Amino acid sequence: MLKLHKWKLLCLALVTNVALVGSLASGEIKSGQEWDWLDIVGEGGLVILALTWLLLILHSRPAGRVTNLLSLGLSAIFIAGFQDWLDEFIHFPDSALWDSWVESGFMPVGLVLLTWGIYHWHKEQLAISAQLRKRERLFREHRGLDFTTSLSGATYLRKQLDESLLEQRANDTSLALLLIDVDNFSEINRRYGHQQGDHLLQCLSEFILLNIRRNDLLCRYAGDRFALVLPNTGRLVADKMADEITNAVKHFAYKTNHQDESLFHSVSIGVALANSDRNLPDSADALIERATTALLRAKEKRGAALANAA
Amino acid sequence: MKNATDTSSSTADAQYKPCTYFEIDTTFIPAHEWPLAFIDMALSRGQEEHKLLRNTGIFREDIAGKNLQLSPQQCFQLTTNMQKHSHSDELSFLLGHRFFSTLDSEVTTALNNATNLQVAIDILLDHQTRLMPLLNLRSCYEQDRLLIYWQDSCGAETSTTFLLEMMCTALSALVRWQSGENFPWEFYFTHSKPTYIEQYEVHLHSNVQFSSQVNAMAIGRDYLYRPWKNSYATLLENALKTANEKRQTIPFQRGFLSELYHYLHHNIQHNPNLEQTADAFGMSSASLKRKLKKHHSHFQEQYDLVRKDLALYWLHEAGWSKEQVARELHFYDVANLRRAFKKWTGVLPGNR
Repeated sequence: MLKLHKWKLLCLALVTNVALVGSLASGEIKSGQEWDWLDIVGEGGLVILALTWLLLILHSRPAGRVTNLLSLGLSAIFIAGFQDWLDEFIHFPDSALWDSWVESGFMPVGLVLLTWGIYHWHKEQLAISAQLRKRERLFREHRGLDFTTSLSGATYLRKQLDESLLEQRANDTSLALLLIDVDNFSEINRRYGHQQGDHLLQCLSEFILLNIRRNDLLCRYAGDRFALVLPNTGRLVADKMADEITNAVKHFAYKTNHQDESLFHSVSIGVALANSDRNLPDSADALIERATTALLRAKEKRGAALANAA
Repeated sequence: MKNATDTSSSTADAQYKPCTYFEIDTTFIPAHEWPLAFIDMALSRGQEEHKLLRNTGIFREDIAGKNLQLSPQQCFQLTTNMQKHSHSDELSFLLGHRFFSTLDSEVTTALNNATNLQVAIDILLDHQTRLMPLLNLRSCYEQDRLLIYWQDSCGAETSTTFLLEMMCTALSALVRWQSGENFPWEFYFTHSKPTYIEQYEVHLHSNVQFSSQVNAMAIGRDYLYRPWKNSYATLLENALKTANEKRQTIPFQRGFLSELYHYLHHNIQHNPNLEQTADAFGMSSASLKRKLKKHHSHFQEQYDLVRKDLALYWLHEAGWSKEQVARELHFYDVANLRRAFKKWTGVLPGNR
């Protein structure tokens, strides 16, 4: 991402250069005995750290207002620090007031800009979290993210289920788990290649996200199977949502790379409800197992129905 | 393979002589088949090329030429690199689904037109050097089931799990596709239950047992002769004919460890030791030791493996008594057999 910010970096290099040349022109270089190593290392360390933060932030962010604020703030801190550091090697005459202006002026300005930037960053993060809400629930773990769909994987699902189950027992509410499996998915992979298959999964995950509520959590279980956690949901609502998703997917016209071809799909869904009996606490694995059994039964039923129709 | 087995078992005392074998550094695996699919898939999932190909000696540009051949060692390094730098546990399974379509061979056409499972398994057994030389394939009837064993053929070590996942998925996906139904396979793996158990559930569909004594998949005998829907007998015949002609140029070979296993298995009545075995393989004991080390093993390990498999089979399938097994495996008495059996399997003979 550094390419996006090359003008910012060029400007910073220019200002640093001007400061260096100006200092060399107006002051005299100190002799080796006058160097204070503790100050050189301490102040130099600050300069290097400020530069590292700046590069890391520029490297990880797209251009925009927040990025500008953060980089301006860090640049000012860097320049103040740099000028301070030059002091250790160059003796400035008392008449060269600009040196102390750069040192003491840039630092507070930089800190204010940085604080302002961080405040807006915080706002931005809240907005992004709201967007991600259906993919993660109050806990972020980037290592488990699935490359194809950017959903969380099964490990995250189990952890979240365990926590939700505890919560459910404590509050005496209900919890449902849906396992959603794409019918005949291997046919797509065979006919159109695995890239098309991956793309279909990605589209389907976005599509299912549109059909669920704010507090629900969608994960990619494995292969062509998704898992949907529905907190505070009883049998009736869970079945209704399963029907809704089934119907929605049925009408989703996926476009392949080939001209105007549309592919239609169906999904089978297995529903399992957390045990409401306090004496028999459910585990995540037990719940997943029940949902899997329900899913396999649904698949069988669908297969039988198709065979009858044919 | 079947021929060799039959003749040696019919004349019990005739010594089995080792055949030619390939080694961990023999280059003969076509790089543009599954290794290329593997590399492409890993790259398309965000893996970095230089990390994936590090220490393998493979350059991606060379593969396109279709002439590059890899050694087992290079394939193992490739999977090790992938496992080190990627958190994707599904790659072996996804590759399994594609495995047979990546093969540039008539054998794939033959498999795609197999008329039933028995035919497909026979093709796999006959052409395994061409299809998947890294795992040795054996089949064996046990009561009302057919068991298909997958065994490391030349020192795969940590790559074994990956290869097993890939091949079990490949075979079960082929069967599902060709037959149009879900066969109730049972899978046995020697490794312990992995954290990514969901991949096994979704891709293998069936009963999976971990920490087993063997790596195998089993199916009821009734399923062997169920007719498959997507098959054309003429296409099958033609493809098999061409494949068999081509096989003359690449004869059936086992990996070094498989060949040694086979030798020990068939000469168990002579209680083979390191010197005799080296002699049969036409080398000195020191050379045999070196070669075993190159394949990450040693003689006792291989001999124990053979005796373990035989003991399991004789006790549980053939119904022999412990005294009989102890005698056949050259143990002094049953107590010694029990001790060894416990060491090999973790359980005492008799408790399954």
